[in-house]
Amino acid sequence: MSTKAPKRRRAASLDKRKARGGYLFVLPFILGLILIYFPVIIDSFRYSLSSMTFQDGAFKITFIGLENYQEALFVDTSYVKTLMGGIQSLIVDIPAIVIFSLFIAVILNQKVLGRAVFRTIFFIPVICATGIMESIAAATSSYNDYIADQGQSINTGALESGGFQMNAEKITQLFENMKIGTELADFVVGAVNRISGIIDRCGVQMLILLAALQSISPSIYESCSIDGATTWETFWKITLPMISPMILVSAVYTVIDSFTSESNQVMAYINNKYSEADGNTLSAAMAWMYFGIIILIVMVVVAVMQAYVFYQRRDN
Amino acid sequence: MDNQANAPKVLKESKNKIVVDFERTSLKERLRLKYLNISYAGMLVWRFFRFLLLMGVSYVILYPFFSKITSSFMSAEDFVDVTVKLIPKYPTLDTYKAIIVDLSYFKALFNTALLSLVSALLQMFICCIIGYGFAKFKFRGSKLLFAFVLLTMIVPHSTIKLSLYMKFKYFDVLWLTKLLGGGVFPWLDIIPEAETGMFVNGTSLDLTNTLWPLAILSLGGLAFKNGLYIFMMRQFFKGVPDELEESAYIDGYGIMKTFFLIVIPLSVPMMITVFLFAFSWQWTDEFYTGLFFSKTKMYLLPHLVGQVPRSLDTQYAGQSLFEAAIQNTIGLMIIVPILVVYLFCQRFLVEGIERSGLVG
Repeated sequence: MSTKAPKRRRAASLDKRKARGGYLFVLPFILGLILIYFPVIIDSFRYSLSSMTFQDGAFKITFIGLENYQEALFVDTSYVKTLMGGIQSLIVDIPAIVIFSLFIAVILNQKVLGRAVFRTIFFIPVICATGIMESIAAATSSYNDYIADQGQSINTGALESGGFQMNAEKITQLFENMKIGTELADFVVGAVNRISGIIDRCGVQMLILLAALQSISPSIYESCSIDGATTWETFWKITLPMISPMILVSAVYTVIDSFTSESNQVMAYINNKYSEADGNTLSAAMAWMYFGIIILIVMVVVAVMQAYVFYQRRDN
Repeated sequence: MDNQANAPKVLKESKNKIVVDFERTSLKERLRLKYLNISYAGMLVWRFFRFLLLMGVSYVILYPFFSKITSSFMSAEDFVDVTVKLIPKYPTLDTYKAIIVDLSYFKALFNTALLSLVSALLQMFICCIIGYGFAKFKFRGSKLLFAFVLLTMIVPHSTIKLSLYMKFKYFDVLWLTKLLGGGVFPWLDIIPEAETGMFVNGTSLDLTNTLWPLAILSLGGLAFKNGLYIFMMRQFFKGVPDELEESAYIDGYGIMKTFFLIVIPLSVPMMITVFLFAFSWQWTDEFYTGLFFSKTKMYLLPHLVGQVPRSLDTQYAGQSLFEAAIQNTIGLMIIVPILVVYLFCQRFLVEGIERSGLVG
């Protein structure tokens, strides 16, 4: 007993030293959180509960309670409508993005002719399709829609963002001739119109899933093929369960990314409100409600998918 | 007798080698069996469609670039000519010239390059350090802190837009500036054109139009998508075996020395990946540039968007279309520098992500 006691103490001190090391490494984040982030969040919440006026070269903030929230929900009619529309279109888009990126990741993981070239091309949207490019694309595509509405025959072909506007018309005609319900036609047209948008938003998810696919040990596939499993069976029984944690990660990333991207219509609406006079604190209130909805949706996605995720047991 | 006939005929026999002649299926037959069956045909069809699909998606990705490139060479006449679709009839470099001269492109390019480089380098190192802390050390509250990392990713920009602006417009951490009492900090002046070190009411600093807001956010791991970078680095370091550091500790290295001399050299591909993300996302970012930088004081590339060069501002039938083409050209000129950076770094992008085994 007496020989064991100092040994245990030394072990504890090593743990303590490692813990101190951990704090040291995470210190920048802790400082940033305490000095910048929490004050900013708290301020933002305070602003959402007050009104702000610019007087004599200084901002004057007065507390007005829940007035901003009331105005956003009951006075401003288009906010709730935009919110609902935004959430609806995202609910359609998110599974499409996850499935598409999984599909492309699986293909890019196989031996394809010119794989390196395709990879280079497919990851271009990761770095390009953010911020500015989205807003330019949005500006010019809304212009294209305007032209289409006006029925003018000016040369739009050169400027279409994805080259799909024309095809959408053809698809609409096709469905009209087939006498299928207009809802279905609208859905298909919407999906086709959004293809380039969906592809643009797949980049990071594709990287995550590709990395997950690479991490599966080839020996598992080998033993499967020896046991006589087909590629199809192997995909459903091996590949999918093995990468399911990363599918969850990429689904959550997709939700977060599409809900917080600047091109999102709700974000655009809130940003518009921000730039309006006296809309500053109102936009903060709207953004807080929006944030609540995002958290809710992320939680729902995680809860639903958690039931299907397979975790390989690890030693540590 | 029959048996004897079917048995392989020995042609040559030595101590180590034996050459045997036996009846082999003919080459034609073997090729036929190998290639003319359902599964091989199925594979061919699958390969063909796979390639077709990849080509199609590549087309969707690249087409906007082609259309932007061709329309950037179009002159005003091309936009009223209905026969012109993709290839300009009257090619011109006027659009580029006008953007470079009228909108002072190179000034914006320089400012943006400086801003992106500084913040991307800071974010790369800081996220590397924080990610390492989360991956390799167990300490009280680490789970809660990591939840906060994820929280910074989830909070939409517009929620903190106003308060971020107010924070850096009237910057005052721990009442430090109040204590210093409104002196002038010449060292805050990083970019000469920017007006810095301005005290409002002698109690706070106006940090807008300097590199400081983004530098401070980067130093705290709070800038654009830093949560993702921290997550990536953490996953990467989780894949690095602990034995590596343990052996370094045994050899007498401290935690810091191990990190800088052993771990950092290992993580170069991943760090380059993070750098590439941070650099290009900062480059095209509109949120922070719109929030902290005004067009007149610190001119950045995103400020170009929406402007029409004076020399191209004319009244004619296809004007609005022409303006859309100018916007596309501006977008192209913003993108091309980071595309070049990407082409140099993309090798590390895939390699870094793959080797990280971003999976934990």
